Amino acid sequence: MPLPTKDILGILADNLNQRKSVLPMSEAKTTRWAKGLDLPMGGKTIIYTGHMYQLIPVIDAMAGQMSKLEDTPITKMMGLGRFANKFVNMTFFMGLLASKTEQADYDRMLRNIALLLKKAGVDFGYLYGEEMYSGALVYDEGIDGSFAKHAQRVCDLFKKHGVTKVITVDPHTTHTLRTAYPQFVDGFDVEVKSYLEVLAESGLEPTQQLDEALTLHDSCLYARQEGVVDQPRELLGKAGVKMNEPDLCRKNTHCCGGPLESLFPAESHRIAGNRIDQLKEAGENITTMCPICLVGLRKAAKGTVQVNDISDTLAKAYGV
Amino acid sequence: MAQKRRIGVYVCYCGGNISDYVNVEEVAEAVRNDPNVIVSKTHMFTCSDAAQQEIIDEIQAEKLDGLVIASCSPKLHMFTFRGMSKRADLNQYQYVHVNLREQCSWVHTNDKTGATKKGISMVRAGIAKCVLTVPLNAIRIETKPRVLVVGAGVSGMRAAISLADMGLAVFLIEREAEVGGWALQTGKMGPEAQEGTDVVAKLLARINQHENIMLHTQAEVIGKSGNIGDFNVSVRLPGDESLSLNVGAIVVTTGFEPYTPEPDEFGWNAPGVIPLKDFRQMLAETDGSLVYNGKPVRDVAFIYCVGSRQSKSESCTEPNTYCSRYCCMATTYTATLLHDLEKKTGQPVNQYHLYRDVRTYGALEPLYEKARTGGAIFLRWDPSDPPKVSTEAGQLTVKAKDHLLDGEELEIGADLVVLATGMRPRENATLNDVLKIPESKDGFYNEIHLKLRPVETMIDGVFIAGTAQGPKTLAESVASALAAVAKTGGLLMKGYVDLEPLIAKVDPDKCIWCGECLKACPYGAIEKINVGEKEIAFVIESMCKGAGPCVPVCPHDAIEIEGFRDDQIVAMIDASIKELEEK
Amino acid sequence: MPKVSSKLAAAVKCSEEFNADACMHCGTCTAVCPMGYEILPRKLFRYVQVGLEDKVKENISSIYSCLLCGMCSENCPAEVNIPENIRFLRKYINENEFNLS
Repeated sequence: MPLPTKDILGILADNLNQRKSVLPMSEAKTTRWAKGLDLPMGGKTIIYTGHMYQLIPVIDAMAGQMSKLEDTPITKMMGLGRFANKFVNMTFFMGLLASKTEQADYDRMLRNIALLLKKAGVDFGYLYGEEMYSGALVYDEGIDGSFAKHAQRVCDLFKKHGVTKVITVDPHTTHTLRTAYPQFVDGFDVEVKSYLEVLAESGLEPTQQLDEALTLHDSCLYARQEGVVDQPRELLGKAGVKMNEPDLCRKNTHCCGGPLESLFPAESHRIAGNRIDQLKEAGENITTMCPICLVGLRKAAKGTVQVNDISDTLAKAYGV
Repeated sequence: MAQKRRIGVYVCYCGGNISDYVNVEEVAEAVRNDPNVIVSKTHMFTCSDAAQQEIIDEIQAEKLDGLVIASCSPKLHMFTFRGMSKRADLNQYQYVHVNLREQCSWVHTNDKTGATKKGISMVRAGIAKCVLTVPLNAIRIETKPRVLVVGAGVSGMRAAISLADMGLAVFLIEREAEVGGWALQTGKMGPEAQEGTDVVAKLLARINQHENIMLHTQAEVIGKSGNIGDFNVSVRLPGDESLSLNVGAIVVTTGFEPYTPEPDEFGWNAPGVIPLKDFRQMLAETDGSLVYNGKPVRDVAFIYCVGSRQSKSESCTEPNTYCSRYCCMATTYTATLLHDLEKKTGQPVNQYHLYRDVRTYGALEPLYEKARTGGAIFLRWDPSDPPKVSTEAGQLTVKAKDHLLDGEELEIGADLVVLATGMRPRENATLNDVLKIPESKDGFYNEIHLKLRPVETMIDGVFIAGTAQGPKTLAESVASALAAVAKTGGLLMKGYVDLEPLIAKVDPDKCIWCGECLKACPYGAIEKINVGEKEIAFVIESMCKGAGPCVPVCPHDAIEIEGFRDDQIVAMIDASIKELEEK
Repeated sequence: MPKVSSKLAAAVKCSEEFNADACMHCGTCTAVCPMGYEILPRKLFRYVQVGLEDKVKENISSIYSCLLCGMCSENCPAEVNIPENIRFLRKYINENEFNLS
């Protein structure tokens, strides 16, 4: 029996309504990456993580538990889980299971992104513990009432801090803030840009030429919805990186399967497996630009091929 | 052999079309010594101006009295060379055309020797026929500058106005008390949203103002005599009055009859099953949401092709196999009217369009697009498995298969089922008796050829237009009405008409009036007359087409077609086998 | 036999979000869909357009299986915004089946 769609959606919505995130995490976990970077609190321009990179180790731990549940009679108990979740933050316990090295890994990527922006001369702040999840998953699942309320909360937060420009670090937050929010929040006029766009526009020059080849995996949302296709190629190209393009690339990129992880883990893994096969055919050193793609493809690669986030390569080439 | 003739023979190369396979020089050479041939030559292009002038000069210099041209099909250049003969003062019926291209070179490309031999035979036959030609003159008929238009629907009214504008006197007669026909009942018509009644009112105003048009309503044609250019027609008027008209041409625009479904066809007769016309009436009359029998209308199913494109079956022994052409446009346009109403009232009405093929052809495709993008659902049905309409517990239900779902069957609960009924030929027994216009297998009046001779009928001087000829949209009806106007004007404006003299001729000595020729003639061109005591057949020159079915049925060989006389045919056969005989 | 639901048909008709009217059922979307389910998305949209609510309910897990990756709409010759339509369906089910909003 597949996971009960209704109850999982219910947990996601309840969490967003009560705890301002689909998978609420402690402030310590969401802000740990920024330690020692001396980012000012707030400001007109801010970096906005949407907790995506920080969430991955937690989701990873949780998905492990969930896919063990899929096709077991315990799925029938999920309704009970939703009931309990109203009183106890169930995902908090999942967070405890998250791997420490994995957490450090994802924190480093965020730090790299912030350092790259600094190097490019961008003046930006951070909302630390006040930052919230974007609501992307709830939007995707069509729970529009909860999403609308949440979008309004995030918008109010921006207003409170006088934020006019937001730099995002992943495609889901970029798409949700840039494309979905204006449809749900009247007069939403915050400028939203992905850090890849900001870096490409800044004219930042690499500090060293990398004599290496990598295989680029485009994010569906970046490529097809947000027009982020050439920027990563430009940044890597300037640093002398040779890019292998799989048959399905750029606007015709193939999904990593990630969006199904919460409801249909087995199907999600099947799609990730298909994609990793296509990428392996094109070359080694697979590079992603979305934490969800990264974790999904890494798992599907099962160690047969390296999968890295583009921020690591950029950090190396641009000397941060 | 008859008296010696002076014939010129010209064999054409046709720029290689003939000469690549037929040795044209050999052909010209072979007949040069024929006792009746004075000149035998070849030309690269006989139809060229230079070649024609050379031939004219030779006809005059050599005093030629016959001409044989062996070239392409007479369909292409017979009239060219008839004109040339005229310019050379040679009677045009003493020129004989031999089709050396389509009937010889093009069909024998694999046998040049054989093709040349056959070419010689064909030219010899042409010469033999030419020897027996006699000078003939066209039959000239004075035409009367008056026209009768039968039926005052939009087509007839439109035709009447344009004919009158040409200066012809027009008698427009209508069987009903009111003019306008079905256009009075269409309501708004797509895509320009013209009201049918407005269209009729505008035409009527112009007719009433026109001094050249005489309109009679409640009038019916009851008799006709005479022929092209000069018909006498009797018309019955209300109150036992009658009218005699002398006209040069007749335009028939008697329209169509809407199809009435059979009792069980698509639920016909069940409450809530209505023809498109009635639904349009409902739409026109409502000032708020649609209500039928006191119940609000939320779901409407439209069924297309009702009474059109039928196949023969047990329940349908006389199928209407044709497409009625207007229904797809009218129904998709109705969908857009319904969308408009929805927007006005804010009350959604679900539309299910069960169609066979959407034939919103030409510039009307956007109607379908608009209907579809406005939210109307289109489901295609197959004639082998049409939708079934039934009433279950007071609920009208349509069961259909959706081919976009691999033929999955589904059930639509409908408040109304609207049938897009097609067109039927109109019952016109009296008129048919009088005019005798041939009908097509569909029962509409037949035009001679859809593309080559539209609006013309087998009866010279009688034209058809509008839906009397076959299903049409209103725009197409008007276009065909104007085509009939052009044809009528072309016939009558000159004041006379020249007819071919290549027609039937009766030998009064041989004829004993058995009546076989009368039975064989499809044009009614044969009459019985008395010559003294004797009854014989008489050919009405203006009606005979020279088609010849009367010839073989005559037991006494008393009837012949000029230009294809028995002696000519026999001479042609003899000449073409001359070489064989010599062997 | 599946019955047409007047309610779903009307909801689809009145919605600004669901707009598959331009769809000409060429099937390109289904051919390029990474999920490879027969029903996604062409057939599913036909069920919705026609208003076959029961069929839509039978296929809830397919509806939530869509990745919203947009491969279909990228290649749609009629430029139908397929992911947005899927979101509409999820919303309709969340509200009418799951009592979620």
